[in-house]
Amino acid sequence: MSGVRAVRISIESACEKQVQEVGLDGTETYLQPLSMSQNLARLAQRIDFSQGSGSEEEEAAGAEGDAQDWAGAGSSADQDDEEGLVKFQPSLWPWDSVRNNLRSALTEMCVLYDVLSIVRDKKFMTLDPVSQDALPPKQNPQTLQLISKKKSLAGAAQILLKGAERLTKSVTENQENKLQRDFNSELLRLRQHWKLRKVGDKILGDLSYRSAGSLFPHHGTFEVIKNTDIDLDKKIPEDYCPLDVQIPSDLEGSAYIRVSIQKQAPDIGDLGTVNLFKRPLPKSKPGSPHWQTKLEAAQNVLLCKEIFAQLSREAVQIKSQIPHIVVKNQIISQPFPSLQLSISLCHSSNDKKSPKSTTEKQSPEDHLYVLEHNLHLLIREFHKQTLSSIMMPHPASAPFGHKRMRLSGPQAFDKNEINSIQSSEGLLEKIIKQAKHIFLRSRTAATIDSLASRIEDPQIQAHWSNINDVYESSVKVLITSQGYEQICKSIQLQLNIGVEQIRVVHRDGRVITLSHEGQELQDFLLSQMSQHQVHAVQQLAKVMGWQVLSFSNHVGLGPVESIGNASAITVASPNGDYAISVRNGPESGSKIMVQFPRNQCKDLPKSDVLQDSKWNHLRGPFKEVQWNKMEGRNFVYKMELLMSALSPCLL
Amino acid sequence: MGVTCVSQMPVAEGKSVQQTVELLTRKLEMLGAEKQGTFCVDCETYHTAASTLGSQGQAGKLMYVMHNSEYPLSCFALFENGPCLVADTNFDVLMVKLKGFFQSAKASKIETRGTRYQYCDFLVKVGTVTMGPSARGISVEVEYGPCVVASDCWSLLLEFLQSFLGSHTPGAPAVFGSRHDAVYSPADTMVQYMELFNKIRKQQQDGVIDEARNSSSRLK
Repeated sequence: MSGVRAVRISIESACEKQVQEVGLDGTETYLQPLSMSQNLARLAQRIDFSQGSGSEEEEAAGAEGDAQDWAGAGSSADQDDEEGLVKFQPSLWPWDSVRNNLRSALTEMCVLYDVLSIVRDKKFMTLDPVSQDALPPKQNPQTLQLISKKKSLAGAAQILLKGAERLTKSVTENQENKLQRDFNSELLRLRQHWKLRKVGDKILGDLSYRSAGSLFPHHGTFEVIKNTDIDLDKKIPEDYCPLDVQIPSDLEGSAYIRVSIQKQAPDIGDLGTVNLFKRPLPKSKPGSPHWQTKLEAAQNVLLCKEIFAQLSREAVQIKSQIPHIVVKNQIISQPFPSLQLSISLCHSSNDKKSPKSTTEKQSPEDHLYVLEHNLHLLIREFHKQTLSSIMMPHPASAPFGHKRMRLSGPQAFDKNEINSIQSSEGLLEKIIKQAKHIFLRSRTAATIDSLASRIEDPQIQAHWSNINDVYESSVKVLITSQGYEQICKSIQLQLNIGVEQIRVVHRDGRVITLSHEGQELQDFLLSQMSQHQVHAVQQLAKVMGWQVLSFSNHVGLGPVESIGNASAITVASPNGDYAISVRNGPESGSKIMVQFPRNQCKDLPKSDVLQDSKWNHLRGPFKEVQWNKMEGRNFVYKMELLMSALSPCLL
Repeated sequence: MGVTCVSQMPVAEGKSVQQTVELLTRKLEMLGAEKQGTFCVDCETYHTAASTLGSQGQAGKLMYVMHNSEYPLSCFALFENGPCLVADTNFDVLMVKLKGFFQSAKASKIETRGTRYQYCDFLVKVGTVTMGPSARGISVEVEYGPCVVASDCWSLLLEFLQSFLGSHTPGAPAVFGSRHDAVYSPADTMVQYMELFNKIRKQQQDGVIDEARNSSSRLK
């Protein structure tokens, strides 16, 4: 301690007056120092009369406080008050307690310093850690980690369990709700499919095609009502739905457009008989709610009504050669003279009693589904046209209509040009054209098939084209002989079946137009078949080496054929000895004659004209061949055998 | 739309307008033309309103609004030597709205109505020009469909006109002269009609003046 330099301690008293507050402009308000009586009161409060004159801290605190007062007051009156106090020693200077504290602190510090220096030497004193029976050092961190991990996992598990609990609760709630099928959620589902709007306190929907471009004046509104007839006590039925739709009464049930073609002339008594037969309702998607099926059926009824209204309007307005008859729910027209096309709207309500449905004069197979489908397509096309960009006015001030029609004024179109823009065909005309074409096509197919089954020689093949139009189809007809298809293929006909006519293009370039009469096609094919036989002989002669002496497609000799013309050919054998003459007609069949050389005929009249015997080698009289007794599967085969029999072999 | 020539057929001596028309139509039918309905071309005159004339005191322009049944959805508006506007039929409604700027001249509606004949590529229209209740003249219009350039087919047209008009065949219309090789348009037809109507109106006016003069001279 003696070598230590003295430490200077400077002590400064705090400011005389304490700051009470600092104002916003920086001015400080000071606490007014206590007056003498106030000070006395304060000091008196601090006297602990129960305690003796012991602790220096109290004195130090008291001395500090008095030091201020000393500085401030300094009068003897204070002295008297202060003498009353037990602990106070007026002889000591004010900083005495402070000095004592500091001195004791210094003592302590010196002791500590001494101890530390001795301990450092480790000669007389050592530091020894307090022995604890602690865990082995290695295990310590691991178990700690384990415990800490366990705790944290437990905490995470708690959170997860809480969350899981919440989820299961919500799931069970949902299931309960599903079972109950809340009205609002069902309404939401309904809204996803149909347009709804709120009018007053009613919810109305729109099932018409007006937003898709239809101009039909039916309102097509349905009402959504709450299904309240549920008995909560009983078990909720499986198909319970809290929502019900009420459709307009004239759209109830199901409807379809029945298009059929009949051959017989219309019986006057039959007109107007409602030929309903209840078509089974199209199967709705499983799982779709009952209101969906109901609304879809009602929409279908509306569309059928629109189609029929459009058709009947056109049937009355459009002038045609044979007027269309519109009776109640049926439109009857005659596309061809002996043909009757009837389009009827069959609307069957859902009532159990339907007295008229049992009398069905026409069978269900009569109905042409294709045409019904086409009617639906055509009306939808018409809807789209009203909304298409060609119709929408550009500029906005122009009147509605086709874009080119708007230009017809400023560009001074004359009547021809105007007519070419306007699509003059209505729905009815289109469907009649399609029906005509279907009829022609089916009858052509039937004709070809009947010929093919009836006649075996030659064979007729038909290759129908896959790509057809609603108004045009085509078929390639080949007439061949069995076994000789490569040789005799000169008759190939391309038939283009149109709306009213059949156009035949022959392989040799001829174009023939046949009318809708069924007999014409049959006659034509029969005549072609007969021509084929003669053509086949010609081709065969080429192959066999026989010479064609004459050939004619339409001979003017012999009996007159009622169908087409007979054709004939004459061929001569390679060495000239024999000649075969064939005449084939559609009705008269085939007649084959063979010409022999004169020296082979026994019953020739001898005459004096021919002097030389060399003339006997020329061909002479004809002899008919009994063709039906000839060996051979078909005509060409027989002909080949005949030819080969008549050409001598060189062996 | 082909090249068209519009001309006036003078009324034959001693005959009425109707009789002359009948003569012509009979000639056409003998030639082999087939009747194909009727036609009508009408013309209304408007002049610019006095309020819009301006301080220079320029003369009001005359505007003719014409319709032709050959172009049923169009309306033609033309000035005397100026442009011709081809518009759609809403133009008539527009004219009503423009009443402040264009005023209809009194008793100015002139029209020609008649029959339409088709003779192969030629379309012949013979019509009676009427102003009010009275017939004032005869208009003959011949259109040659296949050609659209005036200079190419004028000679053919002339020959055809000569075949049934005889000595009354007109000369080449003024519109051909200005745009010989340009494509012929319906507006040119309407210009020709306008000129025809103006000619007839002037004839009529001259006729009235002459009559007035004669009557006044007689009175004197």
